[in-house]
Amino acid sequence: MKSPINTVMEKTPPGQITLENDINKILRGVGVSGGVCIGQVVVIERLATDVFPQRILKPEEIPAEIERFEHAVQTASERLTTIKSHITPEHPLGDHIYILDTHILLLQDRMFFDGTREIIQNERQNAEWAISDVVSKISAAFETIEDEYLKERARDMHFVGERVLRILMGVHSESKIHQLPPNSVIVAHDLSPADTAQIKRETVLGFAIDMGGRTSHTAIMSRSLKIPAITGLESISRQAQTGDTIVIDGSTGIVILNPDPDVIFRYRQRQELYKKYQQSLMAYGRLPAVTRDGTKSVRITANIELTDEIELARTHGCEGIGLFRTEYLFMGRPDLPSEEEQYEAYKQVIAHNEPHPVTIRTLDIGGDKMAASINLGHEANPALGLRAIRLCLNRKDIFKTQLRAILRAAVYGNCRLLFPMISGVAELRMTKMVLEEVKEDLSGEGSAYDPAIKIGILVEVPSAVIIADILAREVDFFSIGTNDLIQYALAIDRVNEHVNYLYDTLHPAVLRLIRQITVAAQARGIHVSMCGEMAGDPLNLPILLGLGLDELSMNALAIPMIKKLIRSVSMDECNELTFQAFQMTEAQEIHSFLESWIRERFPADYYLDQS
Amino acid sequence: MIIDNEGLQTMVVVGNQMGLHARVATMMVQTMRKFASKVTLIKDDMEVDARSVLGLLLLAATPGSRILIRAHGPDSKEAIQEITRLIQDEESD
Repeated sequence: MKSPINTVMEKTPPGQITLENDINKILRGVGVSGGVCIGQVVVIERLATDVFPQRILKPEEIPAEIERFEHAVQTASERLTTIKSHITPEHPLGDHIYILDTHILLLQDRMFFDGTREIIQNERQNAEWAISDVVSKISAAFETIEDEYLKERARDMHFVGERVLRILMGVHSESKIHQLPPNSVIVAHDLSPADTAQIKRETVLGFAIDMGGRTSHTAIMSRSLKIPAITGLESISRQAQTGDTIVIDGSTGIVILNPDPDVIFRYRQRQELYKKYQQSLMAYGRLPAVTRDGTKSVRITANIELTDEIELARTHGCEGIGLFRTEYLFMGRPDLPSEEEQYEAYKQVIAHNEPHPVTIRTLDIGGDKMAASINLGHEANPALGLRAIRLCLNRKDIFKTQLRAILRAAVYGNCRLLFPMISGVAELRMTKMVLEEVKEDLSGEGSAYDPAIKIGILVEVPSAVIIADILAREVDFFSIGTNDLIQYALAIDRVNEHVNYLYDTLHPAVLRLIRQITVAAQARGIHVSMCGEMAGDPLNLPILLGLGLDELSMNALAIPMIKKLIRSVSMDECNELTFQAFQMTEAQEIHSFLESWIRERFPADYYLDQS
Repeated sequence: MIIDNEGLQTMVVVGNQMGLHARVATMMVQTMRKFASKVTLIKDDMEVDARSVLGLLLLAATPGSRILIRAHGPDSKEAIQEITRLIQDEESD
């Protein structure tokens, strides 16, 4: 499909208009919610509130002005409450409706409410002027925040201030957003979460707005509504007119105004394709994960941390649980979970997955994860401190209780034990000794348990990789925890915004570490799995196959796509790709190579999955 | 938890992967309605009231950051426990 339009699309920087004529006018923004729609523009106009009356009050006018302000805040609050009351928990936005509560709280917040009253009182500014000053000051404070998501919250303050201003200025334009004709595509300078909450999916096909990015609440809500949406279009609210035909491609961020019949035809096709693609993908979840040439079968498992995630994992086609994080049982509570409580949780996960394996990771707490019941004191360097297996060996009471619960629950199916953060053989042997003690205790008591439970280690400390050949003699399987391994190997704190640009999954060092692990495992004939974020990214799939992983454990939602890819590639091409990637010297080079490899072979998936 | 003349205090780490974001901040202010105690959150050199949603957002508590919670009042222990739970909670949007 190489048409003039495609050529233009590729070269157009965001927010720019490329064709001067009115037909096929293309704008580019940020696609924040995927899918294609074709409909009629409805421009939602807001009276600009940047022009407002500004005057110094006479002293005797002050009390009345404060009352006028308070009354407007009250009205705004009631209006938000009404909008909120129309949204039931079953509504697709039910989950996001808290943002309207946030706005109500912003109205009442001391900084805004008292702040405005003080300016009216002390500076004798009228209410509109005072509000505008306070909102600007608060927005300026948000500007200094580096975190993209938190910075965006200035928009929320802005929406709230604007709502009060509109009431004060007598513009009751709650817009017509809740009563639009069918096939509407909303075009606006900006949409507040309150506007988005009133969108009816029966009539609104999608929306395109000037402002915003991926982390605005409007973007988040549009993904929940499952309608295509594009933000950051800069000028669409001035370019489009109500009644214009519009095409929105939320996957690529492209908007076409007044498309000609040819373009409409092509996008109708694409719309069908997208629908079918979404449906077909789920079918792959039920198929076995075997390469096209039939030579390699990979076990695809899910990472879970709550027992209620089992069902989602199953419907997406997992063949067991590759990582059950047990920390959740310990967190957000003042006391420790009892053996019985743990036993019930483990039993539920194991029994529900039977005959598939369930890998339970013993308590991985400390570092950035804390539990109120375990007091660690202050550590200067928590990532290198008392955490995971080190903490368990230090607090054997906690560790033994957990091991008892797991061993007892293991009789209900196929359970494997995974020890996190093992850095050497002595530490592993000590851990195994504790396990033996627990088994003896259980035997002595005559309790039912699985004496032959398989044990493995989470390979995530570089020293464990270096001695992987020795460790392989001691365990039944390896599981590679890429998140921590990469962090430790590259000496990068992922949450430190000054260095996290260096965190690179495809760093040649990371790939070599993984190879060292799989080679050691194969030499000893033990199973090797990967459970970090790296395992669920389609981009990495061919190289992970080439590196010889037996199992990939991931977020349940990623499973259908990964299975589809596995079924489409042959081991020969994966091996060849891996060989080539190992000749390369930089992460970026490897990244581009893998990307073009996937894009060439799976253009449809690559294109359609960009949402 | 440490008790001193400033009341109760405890250090927690933000567990949520989006940080102390709008949902958590909103829940915190709503939770505080149950309590009579004064609760403040301190990060670096910034101190905010747990009853101010703006203050909580401006704290810019990104994932993994450490927050000192200080509570003063009749139900400070319960308040600190609930606030701790909200900050540590790993669930997210």
